[in-house]
Amino acid sequence: MTAVVPDIAKPGFSFENCRRNAFLAQKGYAVPKATKTGTTIVGIIYKDGVILGADTRATEDTIVSDKNCSKIHYLSDNIYCCGAGTAADTEMTTQMISSQLQLHRLNTGRVVPVITANRLLKHMLFRYQGYIGAALVLGGVDSTGPHLYCIYPHGSSDKLPFTTMGSGSLAAMAVFETRWKPDMDEEEGKKLVRDAIAAGIFNDLGSGSNVDVCVIRKNNVDYIRPFDVANVKGQKQGSYVFDKGTTAVLSTRSIPVDIEDISITPIEPESMDTSS
Amino acid sequence: MSILAYNGGAIIAMKGKNCVAIASDKRFGIQAQTLSCNFDKIFEMGPHLYIALPGLATDTQTVQQKLKFRLNLYELRENRRIHPKAFASMVSNLLYERRFGPFFVEPVIAGLDPKTFEPFVCNLDLIGCPNIPEDFVVGGTCSEQLYGMCEALWKPDLLPDELFETISQALLNAVDRDAMSGWGARVYIIEKDKIVVKELKTRMD
Amino acid sequence: MALAELCGFDKTFNFNGVPKDMGADIDENFFTGNFVSHTALALPPFPDPAENLQKFSVDESGKQLKIKFDHGTTTLGFQYQGGVVLAVDSRATGGQYIGSQTMKKIVEINDYLLGTLAGGAADCVYWDRVLAKQCRMYELRNRERISVAAASKLMANMVYNYKGMGLSMGMMICGWDKRGPGLYYVDSEGTRTAGKVFSVGSGSVYAFGVLDSGYRWDLTDEEAYDLGRRAIYHATHRDAYSGGIVRVYHMRSTGWIHISNEDCKDIHYKFVEEKENAVAGASV
Repeated sequence: MTAVVPDIAKPGFSFENCRRNAFLAQKGYAVPKATKTGTTIVGIIYKDGVILGADTRATEDTIVSDKNCSKIHYLSDNIYCCGAGTAADTEMTTQMISSQLQLHRLNTGRVVPVITANRLLKHMLFRYQGYIGAALVLGGVDSTGPHLYCIYPHGSSDKLPFTTMGSGSLAAMAVFETRWKPDMDEEEGKKLVRDAIAAGIFNDLGSGSNVDVCVIRKNNVDYIRPFDVANVKGQKQGSYVFDKGTTAVLSTRSIPVDIEDISITPIEPESMDTSS
Repeated sequence: MSILAYNGGAIIAMKGKNCVAIASDKRFGIQAQTLSCNFDKIFEMGPHLYIALPGLATDTQTVQQKLKFRLNLYELRENRRIHPKAFASMVSNLLYERRFGPFFVEPVIAGLDPKTFEPFVCNLDLIGCPNIPEDFVVGGTCSEQLYGMCEALWKPDLLPDELFETISQALLNAVDRDAMSGWGARVYIIEKDKIVVKELKTRMD
Repeated sequence: MALAELCGFDKTFNFNGVPKDMGADIDENFFTGNFVSHTALALPPFPDPAENLQKFSVDESGKQLKIKFDHGTTTLGFQYQGGVVLAVDSRATGGQYIGSQTMKKIVEINDYLLGTLAGGAADCVYWDRVLAKQCRMYELRNRERISVAAASKLMANMVYNYKGMGLSMGMMICGWDKRGPGLYYVDSEGTRTAGKVFSVGSGSVYAFGVLDSGYRWDLTDEEAYDLGRRAIYHATHRDAYSGGIVRVYHMRSTGWIHISNEDCKDIHYKFVEEKENAVAGASV
């Protein structure tokens, strides 16, 4: 480390603010709430593969902070993962596992099995003892067929034919328990997943907005976003357009931007000079 | 009281047609006491890229400096301007690294794509969960009021002039219902060939 | 009834609940005598509420339960050769949310009495109303106006009955009686004191700064109004919980008159302009 340029911090979590934050908490300034997905996520196995579904609401306490967030995360070409819980945790965990799966694929030179993703995820979550608040529904198709896993924040997991997670899981599970059956066809499966998510959207306050669906088959994937707009927003009848000059301005400054032209010159490797 | 409201502050960023705007109040206070009416919460991160960091003022400045450092290294290494989306990932990673001991800031990013000049707005929570919507983002102590104003006033394809009036009115009327923010406001309208910075005449109580 | 004694209920406590034939009068007559006597508030059905109510101010985990009633104010009042000037802001906040920017924090009790409110808005408004009634009753009974000293003492005594039970108010009572102008400070802790210069509320420290530096006994009326206004304006500028409109009242031998209502925004930009002109004048 030089005196001028500090090192870039080591990988992994940084705990540099923990003492300060604990001190503040002790003084009565509690750590603010992070964004939660407050979610309904589901997955089923059907005749030709796996169907995952999710709602699209993210909440910050009682405020809807994102009306159309994406909760079905890409892990690899044949594996996707729905996330519920702390939004940043599901986002970052799936990103990290996704890159590890990609490295695994490049190392082994074969399509990564779903069980590998399951194992990587549960190992990571177990190491953090539940402090990483990610509740996941993992689904994918590999050489051994379709697989669906349900992974809890503490690192346990279930292998199931149909599963639900998040705050709307009870509403969604009620739909599955009455209507799921083995070897459904795709249309029937998608309808069931939609209805399960819709049950969460309408009956759970933490879930809302649209239905996203991801169908994973043997050789391809259909990521349909939105699959269904469960809550069509009304058209605004009035319009608030302010006349120019409504807002009183004290001063105005204009910064012109010269648009830079970016040109890329590839540097050809020169052959070594061996003349002398 | 939340630590995010210790110093006060309110931010909005909005998309328009081929332009984006980002606006903030200028208060710096310690709880009820207003100490300064000229506190920057919006920072330039490139010719078309701005980030606002409402929250605890000490973290506003620390995070700004850490980000500038990472951004400089990125631009030296890559020899090109950063894309707003990549910048959002950079912020997200910086914050998530401190997942268990976070900085108390809720960043708002606004910018134009360096090549296509496509508008981009984004906000993150204090541990770096990104939210990239099609319309507007808000942050700070009166986010409830700001959400309300923006939902009512915003519409698609606002021209720079209209966007200025919309974002200004949204901000002014929201901070007038919040004790912890206000005391001056600054708006940046970011267009392809220029950035216009306006200081607004606001209530000073 | 060993359990009742253990719980501290006295012998007169009614375990049978509300008598059946009470009908619609339950609220007014059973739990409290408020309908008959406005100074009687409903109290919880256990002994020594001042002490025992405290136990309910924390939740099961020991965290303080906060009731977010409207709060935060700057008010001031001072006596000078021309009488008494009162000046107040108009912001009402619940937590950091601004509930109103146009609240009336000076209560016109009668033509010769004014009260200012700071602290819990509902407490102040209610007790001022009760005081107004008491003062009128006094007039009718005694065929003369109540003195400021007596009015303020009525108020102090009424709220003292509820000391420690959560009332929150800090008020100034000003008026003009046989003895001339009067200015008293009364609060929910039971304090009652006469004085020349007072400022009450979250912004009072800022207001005092201006007030003390500009205050003289021989101020002219205009100077006094301007001092009051300036002190409140500077308090609204620095204090997050004060703002809105600056209201100024003047108490004279002929009763109170309302001087002005000015928006803080207008005052601010007027002062900015004055300052710029002063600088420009100095540099010429």
